[in-house]
Amino acid sequence: MAERGIFGLVWFDGDGIVTGRYGRLVDYVAIGEPVSNSVFALIGIDQLVLKQRGERGVLLELPNVSIVIAAGATPRVNLTILWISEQDKFLMLVGRTASQSDLEVELSRQTRARLMAEAEVVAKSNELARVNAGLEQANGDLEQYASIISHDLKAPMRALRYLVEDIEMEVADPKPEAVQAKFDALKAQTRRMADMLTALLDYSSVTSKRLVAEAVDTRALADAVIASMPTRTGMKFSMAGDWPILETLRAPLDLVVRNLVDNAIKHHDRESGAITLTGSLTASTGGDFFQIAVEDDGPGIPADAHDAVLMPFRRLLAARNLEGQGMGLALVRRTVERLGGTISIMSSAPSARGTTVCVLWPTGLWDDRS
Amino acid sequence: MTARKVMLLGEIGVGKSSIVQRLVFDKFEATYKPTIGVDVYRYDVPKSDVRDGITLIVWDTDGNFGDTIFRHVYMKEASAAVIVSDAARPQTLSHAARLADGFAEAMPGRPVALVVNKIDLLSDPQLLDVPEEFSSRSRKIYHTSAKTGANIHSVFHDCADIILRRSI
Repeated sequence: MAERGIFGLVWFDGDGIVTGRYGRLVDYVAIGEPVSNSVFALIGIDQLVLKQRGERGVLLELPNVSIVIAAGATPRVNLTILWISEQDKFLMLVGRTASQSDLEVELSRQTRARLMAEAEVVAKSNELARVNAGLEQANGDLEQYASIISHDLKAPMRALRYLVEDIEMEVADPKPEAVQAKFDALKAQTRRMADMLTALLDYSSVTSKRLVAEAVDTRALADAVIASMPTRTGMKFSMAGDWPILETLRAPLDLVVRNLVDNAIKHHDRESGAITLTGSLTASTGGDFFQIAVEDDGPGIPADAHDAVLMPFRRLLAARNLEGQGMGLALVRRTVERLGGTISIMSSAPSARGTTVCVLWPTGLWDDRS
Repeated sequence: MTARKVMLLGEIGVGKSSIVQRLVFDKFEATYKPTIGVDVYRYDVPKSDVRDGITLIVWDTDGNFGDTIFRHVYMKEASAAVIVSDAARPQTLSHAARLADGFAEAMPGRPVALVVNKIDLLSDPQLLDVPEEFSSRSRKIYHTSAKTGANIHSVFHDCADIILRRSI
């Protein structure tokens, strides 16, 4: 709306009816009608004003008011109402507000921008938390799904294996060589599938078991693992370093050591060899750890395969014909990482033989050696 | 026609002016223009089978007033308050709850509508984190969007109904 002066005057009588006006600022005020019809900011308040008829001084002061009508807004004004006893009328002074509004507008803009920015940070933080919670839920669902599937598939797999054996028994001996070979292949494949399902079930159940810490003699645990291994003639084991008694989770630690040793034996390519288990306590900024290093003098693992062998069901090409599902190191990795530890592989194959798989097992939460 | 004064309150930038612009002129401007002091609008609530016609004089206030608005001359003879918060800024809901309590104390018996504006910015309005102090009162909460116009008229029509029913 165009500029309409810097002040205006409106007179109205004791009933609130406009009797006169002066100045372009109030040229929209209708004479002969209640003042609140035009200056509708006065609706409701006008009765309070009219009751003060005859009183001296300022009866009402409304600062920084803009009346917004369809064509646009009236200028922002200060409204002041007085009683003029000489004229027996009310007088409303309408004055444009000082030009501080540009500064105020800028300040308001900046305040809003700051509030918006703060809100955005909070919103993004909340969104991140929500996405993380969703991911955790999805991971949990996936683990549960894998667990259920692998568990439920075991029964029909077992039934399939028994059926093959039943059919084999019902076919009269001597069987043709080709038929016997197919029976053997079928049994081997069903056994392999059953083993894979067992491995998958073990893998998915790593996070679902609730365990309680207890005092564990790590040396005795490692000795027991070695003693239980079906060793080949010529494979020599040795223990080195410190093997403390830890307040820790026995079953996961046993699983880790067992799979590390089993992996070293299984993937050794010679009849004789050496496997060394070294224990040591370490401390770093990441916490306190019990380090278990299993070193073998086998063929080694090429550097580009270090990550792959830690994945489920992944094995080196050279190991495809060996027994097992390629889950050993994946199980170790999943177990130690869930507990806050790490696994790493050191091997310079093919330029040199040998592999050292090193696990950092967290002790901070459970260690009670004092 | 009966005319009554309705205060539009809420923190700076929650969309008070956009709401009243949508209500009165059915338009929305994306550019932010802060209100300094007060802008006064007139809105005629149409007569219906259940309601007489009524004019609402909507006082769109400067968000910088905060709680001091209740001691200001602007509050004189207010019949109702529409208190606005911003769905994208959850902390404004707590502020709105405080304003609602302040209005109830300053103007007892007058209706208060709690409005969560900018609901169009949420992918799912159910995810809105509503603070307990906002939802615990027995006041109706409206989810609005001045941008789309969603629920804007309901807020003021409901206000008008209560004003008429209570003869405020």
